[in-house]
Amino acid sequence: MLALLLVVGLLALLLGAWAGLRAVRDQPMVGSQVPAIGVVELALVVQTVVVAVGMSNGATSADPMLLWGYLVTQLVLLPVAFAWAFVERTRWSSVVLAVVCVVVVVLQVRIWQIWLG
Amino acid sequence: MSTEPPDAVTPPHPEPADPRPRAYGAGRALVLVYGILALGATARSVYQLLTKPEEAPLAYWLSLVAAVIYVVATIALAHNGVRMRRIAWAAVLVELVGVLTVGLWSFLRPEDFPEATVWSHLGQGYGYVPLVLPFLGIAWLMRSDPARIARQ
Repeated sequence: MLALLLVVGLLALLLGAWAGLRAVRDQPMVGSQVPAIGVVELALVVQTVVVAVGMSNGATSADPMLLWGYLVTQLVLLPVAFAWAFVERTRWSSVVLAVVCVVVVVLQVRIWQIWLG
Repeated sequence: MSTEPPDAVTPPHPEPADPRPRAYGAGRALVLVYGILALGATARSVYQLLTKPEEAPLAYWLSLVAAVIYVVATIALAHNGVRMRRIAWAAVLVELVGVLTVGLWSFLRPEDFPEATVWSHLGQGYGYVPLVLPFLGIAWLMRSDPARIARQ
């Protein structure tokens, strides 16, 4: 579980740094960032599946409802940033992507805390 | 005199009737942060009130009040109409007073807050974002003030 959280966190951090760099350079989100968003989102889906399988095999956490709240929330965030880029063709789409990536990283820490109880 | 703000970018859907900037660009990004906080605070407080209301009723109800104000601020900032801007002003000012009051209260009497709220310890649990947001909100409302833009 920790390895998975670290991988997702690292990927989100890289994407966030990329988006942050583009924001500083006054550039909007670009098409080449879309596959990167896909990779992070896929990692999040894998994480959700791993938790679901683990729980059906008897793994428990201190607060399963809160855990699932976080897992579902983090799945929604990147698609929102992606949709954002269509209406916002300015640097602020990069800012939004960077903010969303930071939120995903923070959620990894929170999920780890909830997982440990 | 130009009606265009200095930071004008071409809106994706030009609105000929009202060229004032709506919530796009920096304002829209601010709305996102407000939206995430509103979502997080609402979900958390509703969940806590439903599952364990007796543990820390004051903290949970305060969290719910804060959450509702964030929802109002998110909608009002995004809408950016004349009346909605007044509501947005009220919401961000209440937030500022709230985070400072509850923040101070939780430092002075920590026994009143067995569980954290969005605003306790100046929003520590949320990376101090609740402390910074009202200032960003006020800055944005001043910057995007139609009267100020019209003067330029």
